[in-house]
Amino acid sequence: MDFFEKMAEDFKQNFIEDDRWQYLLEGLGTTMLITVFALLLGLVLGFLAAIVRSTHDKVCTKEGGHFFLRFGNVIAKVYLTIIRGTPTTIQLLIIYFVIFGSVNINKVLCAVLAFGINSGAYIAEIIRSGIMSIDDGQTEAGRSLGLSFPRTMTLIILPQALKNVLPALGNEFIVLLKETSISGYVSLMDVTRAGYVIQGQTYSPFMPLIAVALIYLIIVIGLSKLLTLFERRLAKNDKR
Amino acid sequence: MINVEHLCKSYGGLNVLKDVSEHIEKGEKVAVIGPSGSGKSTFLRCLNLLETPTDGTITFDGVDITHCKGKELDKVRQKMGMVFQHFNLFPHLTIRKNITLAPVKLKLMSKEQADKQAEVLLDRVGLLDKADAYPAMLSGGQKQRIAIARALAMNPEVMLFDEPTSALDPEMVGEVLDIMKQLADDGMTMVVVTHEMGFAREVASRVLFIADGQILEQNTPKEFFENPKNPRLQEFLSKVI
Repeated sequence: MDFFEKMAEDFKQNFIEDDRWQYLLEGLGTTMLITVFALLLGLVLGFLAAIVRSTHDKVCTKEGGHFFLRFGNVIAKVYLTIIRGTPTTIQLLIIYFVIFGSVNINKVLCAVLAFGINSGAYIAEIIRSGIMSIDDGQTEAGRSLGLSFPRTMTLIILPQALKNVLPALGNEFIVLLKETSISGYVSLMDVTRAGYVIQGQTYSPFMPLIAVALIYLIIVIGLSKLLTLFERRLAKNDKR
Repeated sequence: MINVEHLCKSYGGLNVLKDVSEHIEKGEKVAVIGPSGSGKSTFLRCLNLLETPTDGTITFDGVDITHCKGKELDKVRQKMGMVFQHFNLFPHLTIRKNITLAPVKLKLMSKEQADKQAEVLLDRVGLLDKADAYPAMLSGGQKQRIAIARALAMNPEVMLFDEPTSALDPEMVGEVLDIMKQLADDGMTMVVVTHEMGFAREVASRVLFIADGQILEQNTPKEFFENPKNPRLQEFLSKVI
């Protein structure tokens, strides 16, 4: 049983000695903190951009359209182009070293901003695809009843659109969670960096890296389960 | 009640409606027939401004509504019920919610009042037992009856029907037409774009024939079907009857 003894020894050395498990716990906390708040920020930005873009496409014709809507649409397009056109790592570095380079800012807040702004661009397109997937007849039915455009949007279009894009949104949440593993670039102690730090102290890569991988895997499995549950609840009106 | 003057509608270079003028009195049941692509639906959709007219004016209850926007337009539409070819029920809401959504959200009724009214309306269209079902569980005919109930929940002054039976199985057409007949007997002002000649003949007080973006002939149903004058109408009737 030499192998198992060696593994047990390895485990003890990496996690138990000097309470090294606390690195992972602290890292996990930071990862979750960044993910949750970046997600909230991403959802807000994504919703705004998606609604501006799709309202613009629906309401503004070639010759007319509200000034603010046109302006907003341009802003949203620039936002999407820049964020989707550059790597997340570079965005994180620019926000930390360039934009907040000369001020002393909380690193976690910095990461939340970077990942939230990044995720918002992708969420915007996901939600826009959902809005476009809803038949125009739904808008017409709402408007013909005398509901205003914003009311038709919030009461009729968005609930259906969100239901349609839930799988894609879930995907984006998972991507976001895993993308926070680059937080180490701004020397944040997230769960990935925690594994790296342990490895640096013990010179044994196997246990810390596998542990980090397992932590991500478990969170993602939990998240998927949650989303499936949610999808099933929303599917009750599909029964025939 | 509705007065249309010199209505024109074009999409790019395509003129769909060419100088249409028409007056619809309170209590009238106007059937609009004509070949596909002739502009019948566009005419109907211009009445509640789902399509913005390119030119001309539309007057409703003595008020020019052609350039209404925002809240004013919403107010006008509250008085005009519309029923669509493809029903357009809200699939994420129960039947009851479909009917009560607009009156409650527009604060015209309390939730209790709206629920009570929904039951009366559902009873009227014979679907009281479906109140808590979702649209996907209903047949086409049932969906269209609910769509009519939903429009009626706003207590409209006029009902616009855009080919209400065209998307239905033949055996379901009757149940929808029956509801529309009841509605006509109750004195509702109705404008119905339809391919149901039987309905136009029996229920309508006046029939319009639209082809190539113009009203080519209009008359009482009897005269219209027995004694058509316009050659284009004669040709059309010989094909459909």
